[in-house]
Amino acid sequence: MLNPRLQRCLEPGLSVIVGSVDAQGAPTCCRAYGLRSTDELETVTVYVPVATSHETIQALAMTGRLAIGATYPADHSATQLKGVVTETRLAREDESAFVREQMRVYTEVLAEFGIPKRLSSRATYWPAFAVTMRVEEIYDQTPGPNAGGRLR
Amino acid sequence: MNVRLAEIWRACQGILPSIIATADSRGVPNVTYLSQVYLVDDRHVALSCQFFNKTRRNLDENPLAMVEVLDPLTLQAYRLRLKFLRSEKSGPLFDMMSLRIDAIASHTGMSGVFSLIAADVFEVVSVATVEGFLTVPVDAPAEGVSLEGWRTEMRGLQLVSERINRAADLESLLASVLESLEEYFNFSHTSVLLWDEANGRLTTMASRGYGESGIGAEVALGEGMIGTVARERRLLRLSSLDADLRYGRAIRREATDAANKLAAEIPLPGLPDAQSVLAIPLTIGSRLVGVIAAEDRDPLRFSEWHEAYLDVIANQIALGIDRMIERGDDSADTAAAEAIAHPPAAGPKGCRVTRRLTYYRHDDAIFVDDEYLIRNVPARILWKVLGESRRTGRTEFSNREMRVDTSLGLPPVKDNLESRLILLRHRLQEKCPDLQIVSTGRGRFALKAEAALELIER
Repeated sequence: MLNPRLQRCLEPGLSVIVGSVDAQGAPTCCRAYGLRSTDELETVTVYVPVATSHETIQALAMTGRLAIGATYPADHSATQLKGVVTETRLAREDESAFVREQMRVYTEVLAEFGIPKRLSSRATYWPAFAVTMRVEEIYDQTPGPNAGGRLR
Repeated sequence: MNVRLAEIWRACQGILPSIIATADSRGVPNVTYLSQVYLVDDRHVALSCQFFNKTRRNLDENPLAMVEVLDPLTLQAYRLRLKFLRSEKSGPLFDMMSLRIDAIASHTGMSGVFSLIAADVFEVVSVATVEGFLTVPVDAPAEGVSLEGWRTEMRGLQLVSERINRAADLESLLASVLESLEEYFNFSHTSVLLWDEANGRLTTMASRGYGESGIGAEVALGEGMIGTVARERRLLRLSSLDADLRYGRAIRREATDAANKLAAEIPLPGLPDAQSVLAIPLTIGSRLVGVIAAEDRDPLRFSEWHEAYLDVIANQIALGIDRMIERGDDSADTAAAEAIAHPPAAGPKGCRVTRRLTYYRHDDAIFVDDEYLIRNVPARILWKVLGESRRTGRTEFSNREMRVDTSLGLPPVKDNLESRLILLRHRLQEKCPDLQIVSTGRGRFALKAEAALELIER
């Protein structure tokens, strides 16, 4: 069973970002709208919008290397997961409800920080690629003395 | 490059966090948030290096990076491909970035805990709009300075100059400057603090747009944003008071609750929900005169244009203030005329209330009915005239006798006596309106009491 600290990176309302690197060493990044794991973070699946993730998907096709940052805006607690992608596919319709719900909670969290829903709800999140990664390393990214510390 | 850097300036104000992706020499990516991307010129940006974190270490191994920024008004995303060039540990860019970090650190009580290690400068290889980031395209808000805007700002400069020149005394000069800033720039929450060399602190002398005037509130050199601006003699513009600052304010509130009551004194005037701040040092050469501060709830209220423009105005204001301070007793001429035209209220005949004034010698502070009134030199002046009045029945005093009384601790040159009397007058108006200090002629003032006074010294 995941400890509470690690469990936090799967809670709804998280800001999720992903980064990759292509074969020439050029990094890429994009925002994601949903992160989940069914095996206690042995693997995770992150949902990135098709419209905005083409550079990242191309880089993943070359190197398979992925970093996922999950931050809880309310207290800045942040986790970074790193690993190798095992599957990239178009997200299925039966996954859209999960992504939509993640997006709904996220826009509510953003509204608490002054970003109106009329703006945040305009962000494209579907259709999405579902990118599954085998997690190799997990780091604490929360600002403070433990930043950069390895959690697993 | 399908977008010019200058076109995305709003996205580079740190209002919404940006993302940066880097990779190490083994090809392992790292992704994290950035607080702000600084625009250096058309082809370069700078990022602050505060810690030797993973991003920083990666850049030493692989200079390439990608940054994604968001426009806070439209939420449109832009991606910048960057190449790390160098770290600057001194110079104008470093100083500018360092000032912001030092100010926030000081304001949140974190001085010395975090500071700028280096300004990391990057070449911008490309900037691109992230197509499809939004489901519906958003019309860009109108921006840029119109010809009408320029005319307004030139007129504003003229207006401020005129009012500084026309001001009869320091008090009216400060009030008219803040009024002009509101009239011509819509700066509706402003304050002026003057540097007191003898006290080693800045004191709030005028404010506009706040419920509590905060007049008399003090800031030490290097303390908070205003103290940092004063120490560095450099203008500071914060386009958003980010999450760190809000967090720091919460800590500060907790700390303030537990603070010594005598030390709590007068809170600085401030908006609890300010999102942007502009603090301008008032200097003559390298000599500090004071600081003008403005804040707003709009995170984009103050632009780069205001920095340059208000720097010019600040020079005029500094000269005006200095001229008033130099004039010393002469400035009382107008006040004297006003005093004759509006004679002070009657004396303590038929007093219905008693005011208890307590001078705490150890803290050099006067409390009125257990509420903090004033401290340091203005407190000593008030205590002197109250005591003299009690002993001899005198109610009229001269600036000269204040100046020759060494026990008051006025510096021999640039004693700021007038500003100390303004401060005393304002504090009495706010906290003890039935005791007044009024001008009665050139370099003279009178004590007017409409209450019975109980004087206690501890």
